[in-house]
Amino acid sequence: MLTKAGNQGTVCATDERAARVEDLQLTTGVGPCIDAVTSGSPVLIADLDRSEGVDLARWASLGDLSTSGVRALFAFPLRIGAITVGALDLYRDTPGELAAEELSVALFAADVAAIALLQLVTATDDVFALDTSRGADYRMQIHQATGMVAVQLGVTVGEALLRLRARAFTDGSSVAELAADVVARRVRFQMEDR
Amino acid sequence: MTNDVGGVGGPASRGIHERVLADTFVMLADTLVDDYDVVDFLHRLARSCVSLLDAAAAGLLVVDQRGGLAVVAASSEETHLLEVFQLQNDEGPCLDCVRARQPVVSGDLVAEASRWPRFVPAAADAGFRSVVAVPMRLRSEIVGGLNLFYTDPQAVPPADQDLAQAFADVATIGILQQRATHRSLLLAEQLQQALNSRVAIEQAKGVLAERHGVEMSVAYDWIRRYARDHNLKLTNVATAIVQGDVDVRRPRR
Repeated sequence: MLTKAGNQGTVCATDERAARVEDLQLTTGVGPCIDAVTSGSPVLIADLDRSEGVDLARWASLGDLSTSGVRALFAFPLRIGAITVGALDLYRDTPGELAAEELSVALFAADVAAIALLQLVTATDDVFALDTSRGADYRMQIHQATGMVAVQLGVTVGEALLRLRARAFTDGSSVAELAADVVARRVRFQMEDR
Repeated sequence: MTNDVGGVGGPASRGIHERVLADTFVMLADTLVDDYDVVDFLHRLARSCVSLLDAAAAGLLVVDQRGGLAVVAASSEETHLLEVFQLQNDEGPCLDCVRARQPVVSGDLVAEASRWPRFVPAAADAGFRSVVAVPMRLRSEIVGGLNLFYTDPQAVPPADQDLAQAFADVATIGILQQRATHRSLLLAEQLQQALNSRVAIEQAKGVLAERHGVEMSVAYDWIRRYARDHNLKLTNVATAIVQGDVDVRRPRR
């Protein structure tokens, strides 16, 4: 896992091997997770030995990943619309595609990690924003409200999303309900709310 | 071409219809050979559906691998319309269509109140009485669904349903074709990319709506116009607005 905003680095790795692959990508500046962050698209490679349309030569400076025991690799950008905080990278020591259920779990984990990392890079001290029981939400009004709150408070969209979540938590309402009120202009965030 | 008479219109109107139909598919195909923005492409396709099929509204929902369906484009950006489409994450003709992998048609939604207890009242509130949903398919996989709403109760003719299916197939190609990078992307990657573009556009709409005190649909039009005038992708313009790099002001007349 690495963050793009400001302090680049691996926030967390489950073992030595994963940490080594992450460090390698950060040092060389190339690799599937770097691609995931810059393109904003997941990079899913079920078998590193059979590239199937994937241009692995681009990552040649990484050396042979299989010497690190990596045979399959799935990199998920941590992002919510225009908010980008890093990538979640999953490695397998055997080739194989992600099953539908595994893909769904990985996407959910990436959503939760995106919120958690956003909290970290935004350096807010509001613990209520970090309600990781809720991942990303594709209800449009939440994202519209996020944009509105960013302008109301003069903060980044990332911070606005955290403010929205924190206030929903303290008000005891859902993020979607609060967002609907913001979009309908029934609720405004004031500078003092910061 | 006009001597092949059929339908209600007679030779002349049929000729015009075929011309418009051909022009539409040429326009869509032209877009596909260039580097294009998938959300913008799907928006144009949805608008074409509405005009060619005499529908009141069209929406495209795609499968989100987290589970459920998410709106990726609609013929109009009015918030209440998007909400009616998005409601089908829980129930409705489009969800049923995606699950059954075949078209779902209702000529009169009033009769379906027990089948879709939440969707039918919401659709009625928005002024819709009948609906067609056709699946977006890729070989054995289901990518999403194309949804058409009509304001009158009506049986949609089979020819129109076939045309709707053709639009759904073109939409599928549009999602798959888009190459954001040097490598060919997998379906899951493409769908997630499209969904995230949609989120960035919503965030940008919110920024503009608040800054300039306009409706969300107006904010969308401004983003679209700016992208077109500057030959940029909709998603890139949206991201720049969110990051504060670009302000899309009310166009001067």
